[in-house]
Amino acid sequence: MPLVDTAPSPPAHRGGSGPATAAPPPKAPLRTRLWAARWSYLYILPLLALLLTFVVYPIFGSLVYTFYRWNGIGEPSDFVGLDNFRQIAHDSIFWDSVAHTFVYAIVVVPVQLVIALALALVLNNKKLRFSAFYRTLFFLPVVTSPAVVGVVVQLMLSNFGDTFNSWLLDAHIIDTPVDWLGNPRIAMGIIILVGIWQTLGYNLVYFLAGLQTIPEEINEAARIDGAGPVRTFLHITVPMLRSVGLMIVILAFIGSFQVFDLVQVLTNGGPYFGTEVVNTYIYHLAFGGNQAAATQPDVGLASAASFFYGLLLIGFSVLQVLIFRSIAKRRAAGRG
Amino acid sequence: MSPISRRGFLTASAALGGGLTACSSSSAKSTPSGTRTVTHWDWFVSQEPWIKNEIAVFEKANPKIRIKRTVQVSDKYPDLINLAFRGGDAPDFFQIPSTPAFPDQVAQGWLEPLDARATAAWQSRFPQGSFFNGVDMVDGKVYSAPFGGAAPWLQLYIHNGLFKQAGITNPDGSVKLPRTWDDVTLAAEAITKKSGGKAHGIGFGNAQNATLTWWIELFVRGAGSPAGYGTDGPDYRVGKWTFGSDRNYADFLTLLLEWKKKGYIYPSAMSIGDEQARAFFERGKFGITVGGVWNQPTWAEHHFSDYSLTTLPSPTTTPKAFFYYPPGGRVFGVSKAAALTDEAWAWFDHLHSVEAGRRWVEAGQGLSVFPRANDQAKITSPQFQQYVDTRRYALPWPVPAIRNPEVSQVVVPAVKPDLPDVTAGLYTGQLKDMGAALSALEDRRNKALADGVKAAQAKGAKVGLADYVFADWDPTKPYVNKPA
Repeated sequence: MPLVDTAPSPPAHRGGSGPATAAPPPKAPLRTRLWAARWSYLYILPLLALLLTFVVYPIFGSLVYTFYRWNGIGEPSDFVGLDNFRQIAHDSIFWDSVAHTFVYAIVVVPVQLVIALALALVLNNKKLRFSAFYRTLFFLPVVTSPAVVGVVVQLMLSNFGDTFNSWLLDAHIIDTPVDWLGNPRIAMGIIILVGIWQTLGYNLVYFLAGLQTIPEEINEAARIDGAGPVRTFLHITVPMLRSVGLMIVILAFIGSFQVFDLVQVLTNGGPYFGTEVVNTYIYHLAFGGNQAAATQPDVGLASAASFFYGLLLIGFSVLQVLIFRSIAKRRAAGRG
Repeated sequence: MSPISRRGFLTASAALGGGLTACSSSSAKSTPSGTRTVTHWDWFVSQEPWIKNEIAVFEKANPKIRIKRTVQVSDKYPDLINLAFRGGDAPDFFQIPSTPAFPDQVAQGWLEPLDARATAAWQSRFPQGSFFNGVDMVDGKVYSAPFGGAAPWLQLYIHNGLFKQAGITNPDGSVKLPRTWDDVTLAAEAITKKSGGKAHGIGFGNAQNATLTWWIELFVRGAGSPAGYGTDGPDYRVGKWTFGSDRNYADFLTLLLEWKKKGYIYPSAMSIGDEQARAFFERGKFGITVGGVWNQPTWAEHHFSDYSLTTLPSPTTTPKAFFYYPPGGRVFGVSKAAALTDEAWAWFDHLHSVEAGRRWVEAGQGLSVFPRANDQAKITSPQFQQYVDTRRYALPWPVPAIRNPEVSQVVVPAVKPDLPDVTAGLYTGQLKDMGAALSALEDRRNKALADGVKAAQAKGAKVGLADYVFADWDPTKPYVNKPA
């Protein structure tokens, strides 16, 4: 049983059995309300314009291309109806790339959240010296471009891969040298490790912000009641971080599903599509091969894949929200 | 108080914006002094010293013209040039990308027809039969011109030091160059075993998913498969790709996997790129690699010359098929959007001069299309001389677009997985059944060709799969292309 009741009190107007509440004051006309908030609207206008130009317009702009076979040169003219969607739905490489993306997200998110929360708890300790320095240190990878990180990791592996192999062989951990990015499982593991390290800072900062919203008096009260650090963490910190935590989980999953640059630079989705994620799959369709292996790009197919994946993600997000709501309802019912 | 005033901030922003605008890759401009600037795009890296020198020579001879060169990343060049044309920011002069198909580039209005300037007199500087539809011409109009001379584009590079260390030498102490597949295997084994784990027999850098196919290209041609890895066309004897039905492909891939299994191949070959592999070869991490003549300038820059080369290793000592080239050729083109067509043409003319070709050869970049520029007396590098000596292994081959120009309208769609993917899958063990994988690839490629032909027919082109069959072609002899 929790030492301190951290559940929010039910609002007075929620149940019919509660005390009668006064009727809300009549709303001002829409025009008046808009005018009153004009500065707020003005301030969000630039962001809205950017969003419409670079997110909304391209989404609907590329919808047209999904119905054409088009290599991106000139105007599309070869109408194929829903063939592109059919082709994507029957492409095993696409489904493999979906699986790789989910594996990436499912491993990265929980591991990263646990590490981020642990680090946030340490950094939130007011007695810790140089905490600002550590925060900067952990946040630094976030502001580093994933493409640059990918290039550096690739160079490290190619230049020191032999040395790593020698150490592992000497320690009898392996019996044949490892081709670090040439083995799809190891390559995926490296991508996941780098992904965890590179975006850890975001979640760390979110958790720190969440921790700082917990009133110190509650922790103090728990300590007076004789709770140790573990019980305080389990019965105070975790419940009070719940709402922030849910948002962090959702954002972390969304971010992980969008993994692209790290994979593109580190492995280009290879070997043999072994690390292909959906965004690199789409990119390879849209931009074809390279000078060495020139192939005709297919922008129509890439657009269809993009839409198809978008629909899958919407489905996943809805499912995520429904699960969270169901958990919240069950908890509320358990308390009530 | 803020250290910068609002007015100051706005002024700085305006200046920065103006500066950035000035820096943008705009098309040709003239300055008040009358100097005109031609914008130029290419993807030359190891060829950079040569192109920079050509710019200097050209600008000295044409003081009123400046060449503003932009080097683009090679593997994204087709996307970048496409975006530049779509965005109205195309260069005046550019290296012609590998995709889209050349006739598509002309149809999209990327290239300026050069007939008014590339007159019959101008064309006469090139060897006879250098201009053909589908190669450097489209619909009878000239859009480009040949530049390089024909020689095998891939060689087997041998690290002399490692070969000598492993005792692979001739009686006179010189390095014994491998001629057959068995020679390569024995050399790889000797180097790997005698180096005590410090070096491997074979190495490459397949991070860009391209170099493994170079090995296929080099080895199966020697075995008698003239299509190589098939990017330039199918086996024209039958008009089809034959990855599954021609056993040379499976035989070589089996040998490759054998080398891997026995530990002859540098273990991180799939993790490193070609540039890194080139550096590792130089450092003696492996004794044999496959690459092109473009390796040589970089090694020369690093003062590394302890290597030799050969080409077309075969199951027997005599190659049964060679490297092939179409008559004519194309490297550069003048943009139709060029504001300064005369100046861009002057630059085009300069690069296609005998003198520029001679400097290309002297710089060890390759051979020139002009026989008189390939002056062997001026070649100082023994390795480049070895490369020049391989010329006999490059022959003209059939070009369907010369026999039937309407073939140019066929666009063969991409297949996925393609040969680079399948090879990587087999190498890493992700694909287990080699025969099935190669047969499926053969079917995909041939279906793509049939689809391309069908699409062209639907648009009214008079083409058929028979246009790709040259039953009279003997891959060991030069093919004489004749317009229908």
